[in-house]
Amino acid sequence: MPDVTLTVDGKKLTAPAGTLLIEACKSAGIEIPSFCYYPNLSLQGACRMCLVKIEKMPKLQTACTTVVTEGMIVTSDNEEVRQARKSMVELLLGNHPLDCPVCDAGGECELQDMTFSYGAAESKYMEAKNHKDEQQWSPVVFFDRPRCILCYRCVRVCGEGMDVWALGVQNRGVSSIIAPNKEDHLECEECGMCIDICPVGALTSGAYRYKTRPWEMKHVGTICTHCGDGCKTTLGVRRSDSGMEIVRGDNRDKSGINNDFLCIKGRYAFDFAHHPDRLMQPLIRKNGKLTPANWEEAFELIGKRFAEIRDHDGMIGVVGSSRITNEEAYLLSKFARVVLKTNNVDHHRTADFPALAAALSGKPDSTATMREVYDAPAILLIGNNPTDQHPLLAWQIRNNVRLHRSRLYLINSQTIKLGRQAAGFTQIPAGTEGKVAAYLAGDDAAVEAIITEKNSRETWNALREKLRGEQKLVIIFGSEIRGNDVAVLVKFGSGVHGAKFVCLADYANSRGAADMGLYPDLLPGYHRVADTGKFHDEWTSIPATTGLTLPEMVDAAKASKLKALYVVGANPIGRLGLDPFLFSKTFVVVQEMFLTETAFMADVVLPAANAYEKSGTFTNTCGDLQILKKAGEVTGTKSDFEMIVRIADAMGFDVHKLVPFGAGERTDMGQSRGAQSGEADRHAVWLEARGLEPKMSPLEPTAILDEIQRLVPGYDFSRINLLAGNDQHTTLANSGPGAIQKPELIVPANDNLFSSGTLGRYSKALHSVMESRTQQTSEVAAD
Amino acid sequence: MPVLKNIKAIAKGMSITFMEMFQPTQVENYPDGPGPLRGARFEERYRGMHVLQRDENGLEKCVACFLCAAACPSNCIYIEAAENTETNRVSGAERYAKVYNIDYNRCIFCGYCVEACPTDAITHGHGFELASFNASNLIYRKEQMLAAAPAHMGANAVFNSADVAGGAPALPVQGS
Amino acid sequence: MASLVSHPDEVKVVSRRFGQGATNIDRYLELDGYKAVQKAFAMEPDAIINEVKNSGLRGRGGAGFSTGMKWSFVPKQSAKPKYVLCNGDESEPGTCKDRLIFEHDPHAVIEGVMIAALAVGSQTGYIYIRGEYRYLSIIMQKALADAYARGFLGKNIFGSGRDLDIYWHGGAGAYEVGEESALMESLEGKRGIPRIRPPFPAVVGLWGGPTVINNAETLASVPHIILGGAEWYAKVGTPKNGGTRLFCLSGNLEKPGVYELPMGYNLRKMIYEVGGGIPNGRELKAVVPGGSSTPVLLPEEIDISMDFDSVAKAGSMLGSGGVVVLDDTNCIVKFALRTMKFYRHESCGWCIPCREGTDWLEKTLTRFHAGGGLKKDIDNIQYLSENMLGRTFCPLGDAAAMPTIAFVKKFRKEFEDHLEGRPCPFERAGAVEQLPVLA
Repeated sequence: MPDVTLTVDGKKLTAPAGTLLIEACKSAGIEIPSFCYYPNLSLQGACRMCLVKIEKMPKLQTACTTVVTEGMIVTSDNEEVRQARKSMVELLLGNHPLDCPVCDAGGECELQDMTFSYGAAESKYMEAKNHKDEQQWSPVVFFDRPRCILCYRCVRVCGEGMDVWALGVQNRGVSSIIAPNKEDHLECEECGMCIDICPVGALTSGAYRYKTRPWEMKHVGTICTHCGDGCKTTLGVRRSDSGMEIVRGDNRDKSGINNDFLCIKGRYAFDFAHHPDRLMQPLIRKNGKLTPANWEEAFELIGKRFAEIRDHDGMIGVVGSSRITNEEAYLLSKFARVVLKTNNVDHHRTADFPALAAALSGKPDSTATMREVYDAPAILLIGNNPTDQHPLLAWQIRNNVRLHRSRLYLINSQTIKLGRQAAGFTQIPAGTEGKVAAYLAGDDAAVEAIITEKNSRETWNALREKLRGEQKLVIIFGSEIRGNDVAVLVKFGSGVHGAKFVCLADYANSRGAADMGLYPDLLPGYHRVADTGKFHDEWTSIPATTGLTLPEMVDAAKASKLKALYVVGANPIGRLGLDPFLFSKTFVVVQEMFLTETAFMADVVLPAANAYEKSGTFTNTCGDLQILKKAGEVTGTKSDFEMIVRIADAMGFDVHKLVPFGAGERTDMGQSRGAQSGEADRHAVWLEARGLEPKMSPLEPTAILDEIQRLVPGYDFSRINLLAGNDQHTTLANSGPGAIQKPELIVPANDNLFSSGTLGRYSKALHSVMESRTQQTSEVAAD
Repeated sequence: MPVLKNIKAIAKGMSITFMEMFQPTQVENYPDGPGPLRGARFEERYRGMHVLQRDENGLEKCVACFLCAAACPSNCIYIEAAENTETNRVSGAERYAKVYNIDYNRCIFCGYCVEACPTDAITHGHGFELASFNASNLIYRKEQMLAAAPAHMGANAVFNSADVAGGAPALPVQGS
Repeated sequence: MASLVSHPDEVKVVSRRFGQGATNIDRYLELDGYKAVQKAFAMEPDAIINEVKNSGLRGRGGAGFSTGMKWSFVPKQSAKPKYVLCNGDESEPGTCKDRLIFEHDPHAVIEGVMIAALAVGSQTGYIYIRGEYRYLSIIMQKALADAYARGFLGKNIFGSGRDLDIYWHGGAGAYEVGEESALMESLEGKRGIPRIRPPFPAVVGLWGGPTVINNAETLASVPHIILGGAEWYAKVGTPKNGGTRLFCLSGNLEKPGVYELPMGYNLRKMIYEVGGGIPNGRELKAVVPGGSSTPVLLPEEIDISMDFDSVAKAGSMLGSGGVVVLDDTNCIVKFALRTMKFYRHESCGWCIPCREGTDWLEKTLTRFHAGGGLKKDIDNIQYLSENMLGRTFCPLGDAAAMPTIAFVKKFRKEFEDHLEGRPCPFERAGAVEQLPVLA
């Protein structure tokens, strides 16, 4: 659209035609206050704060509903305008309780800011304020009704943004009030977006309410550790007896790929970190019982046994995690091959990335970022239910359709909620996703399996033609498509102009774990173990034979061949439903936060730090790399990275060869160790005792980042951008050849909105929501 | 005559001395004086150990707004907040201070906290005997700073018998 | 049914068929019914619009916008269906004219909607009747059924090959819905809250289609204009203010009632001759010239011609034609309070100034009337109202603010008489509960 020129406060501005005046001013650095205006939500014109003087208009006009026109002359700040805004604040404060000292929003309240800006400090009224009682809408959402200023942001973000429509307005006039969908409580996705978007303290979070004040916390913008979408969540951290306590998770920092969005897990489910069952010291099995021990004892024992078993050619298995950082996954992969001298490495796979890497090899620009899902003109989604399993992806798709009129094509065996946004929804018989891929790729015979009463051959033909005609189509597929089907789908995609792919995996760093080579047959970057190449040069010795997959390790354990099992942040017994007594003849070491089913059977359990307590990087399911920032340390735990290095050291391995610390191009100057933030530099003691370079610690994940950047294809990202908290896309185009994996190795996590694998079991917030749900359902059933 | 002059001067001097002899004394005989303060006397404005006040219902005035902690230049106030419930009502508002510590190792008695307090909950009392041989004793807990509960709530509601048995003072802290 | 009044000065146009049983379709046809619409069939749409334009007919709802102009804004071609809406959500205190039209001459409204539909090329009309007028919607339903039975509505009306459907719709009792865009929201089944404008209803209205929305009296005048000709109609009134208007005289008058008088009729004459003057020899104190939302006029200001422009010049508005007369036994503070109670109750709550402003004005006036007022409250009332004026989302806030400002400005003395714990001088002793003076 052509640009128009307008004058605001004597400043000449140009803005594209159709821009709202408030946005044009904002981009020119002129602030126009508002409560009800919120970018990308429908216009209200209700709060009257954005009134400005426009020449030739008799009355003040709302900047949030006025579209810029050529030659418009606007005054955004004069006596009349200031008075109008002041009077709005005055009127609002008339019925607004002045309980700022106890209000959760105190200190980050937009009404407070406006009062400071426009100075309506004195009340002109003497009558009592209208009072309404506070309500609890759900375990995590409270509504303090008198504080509400009726900006309708919550109503809109819930309806338009989340497509939940759980909030509405009741009554009229001064008795108008926001009300939940079920009389006195909410039945919704509990995303808490209404709380975040509330400009005042009317909607408050059940998890954070009355605990502290905004300025008392350290705000750490890090990556959520639950699903694979990689939302940025800002953790509010306070010091406490155990080192630190996370008191709040929210979306205060809207700079992440999730922008405004955060789901229930990112917002409330940080509380597993403070669960009373958290392990705080190493446990060693003595006389058949796990007994508390100290770290030295534990490392010594592990080092001794691992070295013994390795040197006697005993079989050692390594199980990695989809929730450890890229650095840890890389280190584990290297540790297994270089120190334990085995290729028996695996992890809980939830998507077939090796197949995707193989199919996309040599095809640049063929993976979509999470941001692109929001901009793409057309999206094809096969399988999965993003609303439950990938809330951010669902948000991106939904709002892309709403704001950019993108076309969404859904192919699913279930009717999923995103169907409401779909331009076309095609239901298929369960388990025929592979046939869909084949049919789309041109195999006309495959259509037989997917023809249903509703969808004839002609419907499928029409759909395929439509899809082939799309440009910049983003093809998103869940774990239903795996193995050969991935290649087939990619073949279809190569016929669509500018098509890009997203493969959906279920855990926070599933993609990273795959990229970093937690496979028995693949090294980082999907290089095959047998191939000679840069890894052999750098890592020197890599066993040439393909290792054992997790099920094969289990078989080996059954046959008493597996002598040791090293489990890093995984719970195979619990998640994959294995027989707990399988490993009774195996020396099992588990690095875990809790005494999970697997840890319960272990010989040594090492208390691990979680993703909120360490630094590093995560790669989300789209391949967007982001930095994890450490919120703080919990006494008695160590990061998986540190533990791996210490075990290598205890095995007598030269740490220099595992972590190239001090040899890298950059040093970290101790920031990440906390040496400058006043935290005790607890690594220093150990480093000095061993005469190691104190400039860069081998226990610091950054130490291995250089090597990752150098060796793993697609990870040649900009370090400065990473540190700045920006997301960067890692591509699969230059990956190694990958390998076809057995489809049955992929076991989807099957989490929903309110569950999150093992972590979810230890989150009180998720539990309380689920409990209130079952209670409601049973009440309905009883009725 | 110089002698007379000297005598006169001495007499004048002594007269002032005699006059002052019968004036009330300004010297404080602390710590050997009478009364609970052992002879110490304060101006109203004296800024001593803090007192956390109660309202007319005996509820704590502090609503744990953290403004004192924010205003404190020496960062000596530590608060943990919690929510009042039907069964456990501590303050008049929704929130109360579950933990309220002042670290008298660091406090500089500047009074900014008192000025910042929106509910007049924290005030300076006249308590001054804060010296201790153990620095960790100088971190005062809320219970040590709370004003005594009003008479109708019992003589000393601050510490119950279990607290006293656990080492808490049986009488309100002096000077508060 | 309310009894009808009359006065020799009346020019009966809209009220021609009042009291003559015109609710019966046969009787209506005898009284030249449905002749205008048949005449309109023979005219080009533009000719109809021009005729209405030339008649000088201005919207009878209150804003006084030229009806012909409004119709001409509707685009000729539209992808979406066009609609004609009759706004019968008459809720302004002091106004009761549409009620008589619905009661005595429902077919005239239907005919008006039909002509408007012909003029703008619409095939659907809605007649929106105020929720409290439930008994009138029964009359309207019967009238519509009769019109359908005769083939005046439905498919191929009057054998012209055109289709036209007209539906009635009842409100749920909200003054706010009298605002045109709120009425459309209500008609669509949503909360009756006004829409952001632009776009205006003529472009994007009901269900997103171009919409003509007119007051019931406006539409009831249209058949008479078509039949009698624009020139005749324009001549009845003053220049730029064509035709007649139903004035609803109420308050302290000998003969209150609805009178149809030519536009530009003198207000003093209206009160003292048509309305029969103030009973019991009392003095006139104030006149509200156009419904509760218009600023009050003092006795010395009533020598004005009752047309849109002259009343505006006098600092008030002709509004919806509800003339409320107050004699000297009325307390202005109480009157202001009563008015504000209405607006507080009717505010939709959408925007801050109206929602909060009406609430505080009512609270303050209640205390003031009970004698608990302070001197600064008078300024506060004015300050509050002035800050509402022109800053609300829709005109309801203005409607609440304008009369209040006028009350304070013109009757400051009377407000001062209520100060400092003095009870209202107009109330019997003890009638108002006295409030303590607040410091």
